[in-house]
Amino acid sequence: MTTPAIELVGVSKWYGSFQALKEINLSISEGERVVVCGPSGSGKSTMIRCVNQLERHQRGDIRIHGRAFGGGARDDEAIRRETGMVFQSFNLFPHMTVLENCTFALTWVKQMPEEEAKRIALSHLERVRIPEQALKYPLQLSGGQQQRVAIARALCMQPRIMLFDEPTSALDPEMIKEVLDVMVELANTGMTMVVVTHEMGFARQVADRVVFMDQGEVVEQAPPEDFFANPRYDRTRMFLSQIL
Amino acid sequence: MAPDHTPTPPLVFTPRPSAPPPPSTVGVMGWLRANLFSSVPNTILTFLGAYILYVFLEAIISWALINAVWEAPNRRACLDAVGRSGACWPGVIAWLPNLIYGLYPKDQVWRIDLGALILVLWALPLFLPRVKSKIAIGLTAVLVYPFLVSYLFLGGEKGWIWMVLVAGSLATFFWVWLTAISEMRTGLPFLALLVRTLAGPDPIPERARLVRQLAWAALFVTALVIVSRWQLVEVPTRLWGGLFLTMVISGIGITFSLPAGVMLALGRRSSMPLIRGFCVAFIELFRSVPLITILFMFNTMLPLFLPVGVEVDRLLRAIVAVCLFAAAYMAEIVRGGLQAIPKGQYEAAAAMGLGYWQSTTLIILPQALKIMIPAIVGNFIGLFKDTTLVSIIGLFDMLSMARAVGEDTRWLGLFIEPFFFITMIYFVFCFAMSQYSMNLERRLGGGQRR
Repeated sequence: MTTPAIELVGVSKWYGSFQALKEINLSISEGERVVVCGPSGSGKSTMIRCVNQLERHQRGDIRIHGRAFGGGARDDEAIRRETGMVFQSFNLFPHMTVLENCTFALTWVKQMPEEEAKRIALSHLERVRIPEQALKYPLQLSGGQQQRVAIARALCMQPRIMLFDEPTSALDPEMIKEVLDVMVELANTGMTMVVVTHEMGFARQVADRVVFMDQGEVVEQAPPEDFFANPRYDRTRMFLSQIL
Repeated sequence: MAPDHTPTPPLVFTPRPSAPPPPSTVGVMGWLRANLFSSVPNTILTFLGAYILYVFLEAIISWALINAVWEAPNRRACLDAVGRSGACWPGVIAWLPNLIYGLYPKDQVWRIDLGALILVLWALPLFLPRVKSKIAIGLTAVLVYPFLVSYLFLGGEKGWIWMVLVAGSLATFFWVWLTAISEMRTGLPFLALLVRTLAGPDPIPERARLVRQLAWAALFVTALVIVSRWQLVEVPTRLWGGLFLTMVISGIGITFSLPAGVMLALGRRSSMPLIRGFCVAFIELFRSVPLITILFMFNTMLPLFLPVGVEVDRLLRAIVAVCLFAAAYMAEIVRGGLQAIPKGQYEAAAAMGLGYWQSTTLIILPQALKIMIPAIVGNFIGLFKDTTLVSIIGLFDMLSMARAVGEDTRWLGLFIEPFFFITMIYFVFCFAMSQYSMNLERRLGGGQRR
C-alpha cells in the first residue's frame, strides 16, 4: 500500500472548551479529489486548515505524504510547502500587482531568479486564463478573476496537494462558473485536491469521494453517486434536502 | 394562412449612453450654489463668515505689514513711531541668528549650514526618478549620515575611532552621489558600472568582489585624507539652540521612533510572554507619564543612577527622553495599523511558506504603514512641537530664544513679535510635513484604493 497524500489520525481540536474537531480519521490518497461538505459550524473549515497547520490541532497526528507535523517550525514549514491553499476571501496581497502576487513567494521563499519566477507565474496565469491582467492590482479585478489569480498564485509554488476553503462562497453567481471551470481543469491534471464547498454540481462532476461533516465529526463518506442517491444517515438526508 | 410557429427572436438589449449631468450641479456656479448659497441660512452664514475672515485678516496684515516698523535701533524708537498699532520687527531681525542657531559661535555657524546642506544632498537622489538604489540610499541617510554630521556639529579632538566612523560616513556620501549619477546616466549602480568597465561584462565573482573592495577602499582613503585635515573647534552642546536644536532633537526623535515603535508594536503582539510583557510595560509606562515629567526625570534623576564621574550630556539626556516617549506613542499607532490588516493576509502568507519575519516585513508592514501614514505624520508633527518642552530643563530651543528677545535690554518687553515669528516657522514646517504626508498617501494609494 502506498503512503496516503494526507492522513488524519484521531485529530482533535478545541477552541477554549468548545471541541471543534472530534477525533477525525481521514485518509486521502495521491491524486484523489475529495469534496467536504456540511452545515456551518460543522468543523469542515477547521479541518482543512489543520491540514496545512494554519490552525494547530491539539491531539492526534496529521501526516502529509507520510511526514507528520510537530517536529519543529522549520520542518513544519517544509511540510506545509507541499500544500497550496485557496481561501474564501481570496486573500491576495493588495499592495502588489497580480504578477508580483505570484512571483513573490518564488523569489523570497524559493530564492528563484526574477526572470524564471516571472516565466512560471505567467504560465500559471495563462492556465487560469488571465495573463492579460498581470500588471493590474488585485482590487481592480472582479471577484472571479481575483479567485483565479489566487489559484494561480498557489500553483506557482508547485504544491502536490491543493486545499480549497469554500472558494466560491464569496462570489457573485455569475462568476462562480469561471472559477469552478478552472478547478475542474486542475482536477483533470491529477492533482490531489481537498475542496470544502457547497457546489454539489462540482462534487458530482469531479469528486472521487464526498465527505459529510457535522458537529466536528465525519458523519459519512462515499463516492458522489452513492452519496447523493442513498445517504445512509438521517442527518445527511436532511442536509441534502435543504441544499439541493 | 397557418400561424407562424418559429419562436420569436430574443429582443436585443443595448444599454443607453450616459447623459451629461444637469448643468446646475457642475462648474464654478454649480459648486458655489451647492456649497455656499444652497439655502437662506447658508447664504447668511457665508456672508457672516466672509466678514469675520475679512476683519481678522485685515487686523493681522495691518499690524504685521502695513503699520510695522522695519528699521529702528531699539524698542523705544518703535513705540515712538507707531505705538502698539504696528509690529516692531528690528528686534526679531537683530535676534534672527540666535533664533535659528542659538548661542552657536557666529564664526562656526557655517558648520550647521553645511550639515543641513549635506542632508539635503544625501536625500536628494531619493526624489530623482531614474535612481534605482533608493532603499540603500535612504538607509544610509538614516544610519550613516548621523556620524558625519555629529562630528561636524560637535567638533573637537577626534580619536581614531571617531576618525574612522566619520571617514566611513563621508565615503558613503561619495558613494551615494556616484551611484545616483551613474544610475541616471547608464541605469547601472556605480559599483556595477565599475566592475563592468574594469573586469569585463561577465567577470568571475572573485574578480568582481575584488573590484568592489578596491573601490570602497579608494573612497575610504580619500575620505580619510579629507577628514584628517579638518580641524574643527569644539562647540559644547550647551551652546546649541534655536531652530537648529529643535531640528536636532525632533530629527533624531522622528528617525528613532518609527523603527523602535514598529519593534515595540510587534513585540506587544508577540506570543512570547517575556517579550510581550516587556513591550507592554514599556509602552504603558511611557504613555502614562507627561513628556515634561520624563524630561525632568532623565535630567535630574539619571545622574543619580550612574556611577560617579560618568557625565551624560544634558542634550543627550533630553534626546533619549524624547526618543523613548515618541517610540511608545508610535508603537500604539503601529499596533493600530497592524490590527487593521485582515487575518487572511497572515494566513495567505503562511500558506505560501513564508516565515514570520518575511510575512511581517514584506506583506503586513507595507500595508499597515501605508494606512497609518496620516497618524504617523501627525505624531511626527506633535513631536516636532513637543520639543519646545526641553526649554524647561534649560536647553535653548527656539521658544526659549524667542523669550530671550524680550529680555534683551534694547528690546525689553518685545514678546509678541518674536512669538509671532516662530509661530510662522513652526507653521511652515508642520504644514510642509502634513502636505508631504498627503502627497505620499496619494502616490502610494495608486491603483489599490478600496
